[in-house]
Amino acid sequence: MDKVLEIGGFAAGYCGKLFAASGADVVRMDRGERLPAWASEKAMDLFLHAHKRMVASSDLDLLAALAAKADILICEGNTADELDQLGFDDWVTPVKVALTPFGRTGPKANWRASANVLLAMGGYTHLIGEPDRAPLSLPGHYLEFQTGALAYTAANSARWANQSTQIDLGQLETLMSLSQFTTVRWHCVGELRSRHGSDFWFVVPSQLFACADGWVYLNIVPAFWDPLTVFLDQPELLIDPRFENNDLRMLNRDALHALIATELAHQSTDELLRKAESCRIPLGVVLSFEQVLADPHLEARQFWQALPADNSEPVYTPAYPFLQGKVADPEVNRGVFW
Amino acid sequence: MVKLPVDGPLNGIKVLDLTHVWAGPLAVRFLADLGAEVVKIEAPYGRGSQVFPSQPIGGWLGGEAGDEPWNVNAVFNKLNRNRRSVCLDLKQKQGRELLLQLVACADVIIENFSARAMPAMGLGFEVLKQANPQIIYVSMPGFGASGPYHGRVAFGPIVEPMTGLTKMLGYEADRPMNSAMALMDPIAATHAASAVVRALRKQQQDGAAAYVELSLHETGVAYNGPWLIDTQLGKRPVCQGNAHPQMAPHGVYPCQGEDNWLAMACQTQDQWQQLCTLVGGLDGNWTLSQRLQARQSIDEALAGWTAPQDKNAATLLLQTHGIAAGPVNNAAEMLADEQVKARDFFQTLERFNTPMPGNPIHMPGLNPQQWRRCPDLGADNHGVLTQWLGYADDQVSTLQKQGILHDKPPT
Repeated sequence: MDKVLEIGGFAAGYCGKLFAASGADVVRMDRGERLPAWASEKAMDLFLHAHKRMVASSDLDLLAALAAKADILICEGNTADELDQLGFDDWVTPVKVALTPFGRTGPKANWRASANVLLAMGGYTHLIGEPDRAPLSLPGHYLEFQTGALAYTAANSARWANQSTQIDLGQLETLMSLSQFTTVRWHCVGELRSRHGSDFWFVVPSQLFACADGWVYLNIVPAFWDPLTVFLDQPELLIDPRFENNDLRMLNRDALHALIATELAHQSTDELLRKAESCRIPLGVVLSFEQVLADPHLEARQFWQALPADNSEPVYTPAYPFLQGKVADPEVNRGVFW
Repeated sequence: MVKLPVDGPLNGIKVLDLTHVWAGPLAVRFLADLGAEVVKIEAPYGRGSQVFPSQPIGGWLGGEAGDEPWNVNAVFNKLNRNRRSVCLDLKQKQGRELLLQLVACADVIIENFSARAMPAMGLGFEVLKQANPQIIYVSMPGFGASGPYHGRVAFGPIVEPMTGLTKMLGYEADRPMNSAMALMDPIAATHAASAVVRALRKQQQDGAAAYVELSLHETGVAYNGPWLIDTQLGKRPVCQGNAHPQMAPHGVYPCQGEDNWLAMACQTQDQWQQLCTLVGGLDGNWTLSQRLQARQSIDEALAGWTAPQDKNAATLLLQTHGIAAGPVNNAAEMLADEQVKARDFFQTLERFNTPMPGNPIHMPGLNPQQWRRCPDLGADNHGVLTQWLGYADDQVSTLQKQGILHDKPPT
């Protein structure tokens, strides 16, 4: 079983969470920093740290001592200098992962960044939102969790190869590595991708539509055009010259969207889902968090894992069965170990 | 010419990559960049037909379709570097038999077909395990292989609203918004790569085969875990536009020129006090709770301050005061960023010098200079079959003539 020492924010926390879900012995060194989160402190702690042990200390000697005992060290800092000051390079852990906003080198290595700043610099914010309004930043912890997942992959790869190594993972590069087609389209087509609300733009229709009791998203790549006409109960669309192929559907986007909006407006999400399943078209319903928690599919797949929560009913958190590990019993604040 | 994997910790691991579209190829790209030897098993029409009805979404490498349009799809090339390509018709029995022979030589097989595709071809886990008792099989069906939705068609954009994210994204709480970026795909991708290395490490201990099922839907829902827990705790997370529940200011502010913006946030009281030295009308003594209450007026003051400024100059000024800030970049600006240039993040791999996003994992021994461009369709039919399976040249030729192997889409 790996001994993993985790220090830092939500990216390190998520990486440690994946290790804990894999059965590793994860110790989080809590240095008392409380970072602004998208959810309550309790929710963040339950989600990220439930199966870890905690040491509440900012003692650098203790940190170095724990690092000397760990197999893997995940350390997240606000800047490259911050990691240097902690003593990152001196720690003797076999696999050390440095997580910073911009990486440990380069002219911006000591710039300050929040997730919304990195999402902006990484090209995401420019693409989200309505064209005639301010661009929108992505809420939630996508950036930090993606960085944590890659840190987990990198550290495990090194452990698999029995390598002692030091890994430098920058969050800006994480975002850019996951980009869809923004930069290649610019280079190859000479066109800057921009934002169009919920409309995916390049595949029509791919849009949110209001229905009688909520919203649904349709994502009709060309192979699903024929079944969409069945779904809409408008087979005549198949021979409508305005919609013959995706290029023409892009040209006549507004007309097609209006037609679909009219058709869906009076139907319920349940009806639309049933029809989508029977016609085999890609359709998703906009769900609230209450609805996600009650989703029968997730329940049938035993997706939720119960966590004890302070003298109250258990709360449920997403499980990570793909990591195939035995999850350790929650142990919090039990002191020093190893 | 024998093509070897690039150097990396996963040297020695052989991966059969049956993935397509985005999530699967991106997952495998991380493995290939880390040194796994990846053979992409492609269907004869896996890259489309010989004639493309229109330009692909990311365009063509070099801007033109050329004589072999299926080989110059820019997005496909972006996702499929550092691999070899075997183009194999799995609809034919002989093609499936050949795949099982390759499975016998591989460590990992990964696919992101629908849940029923592999069993329908007679290539379920039990069959793969017969071919190789130690195989690690990673399957990425959109809604998983069981449960009421397992037969549904799943693409990232329709899965996103089912995770709850769409209700949190937007300008107003009563008007949901989809990111239109298919974010569920890269989430599944990073976790599929994680699942592979986890399975490899487990196998080091138990030597057993493994079946790993990873659902696009579930990995997407998992990212909303904190909000889902808050919901159970009686809190009601709501869409707040560009605002943040625990930071003020936190937003995107207009700058000089058309559609120019910068993003900024004060994560600490110190940053707030520094900001107040730059922007008039703000009180450095306001606490976080006061700032959250005065969010709108703070945003108005900041927008007034940023509006006449160049976004990069304003960013630099804020950064010199220790405040988190950055320009809202478009694609051209991303490529020109001095930080990513200094770290050689974008790499050019082919004759048209298309900058391709690199690997954010920097570790000794990884060298992007070794990277190879995405192979042409079926370019390694001969190499892989002779090297992995010991086939003779004429056996490979026969398979080609029989239409089991291809090196271009059939006419």
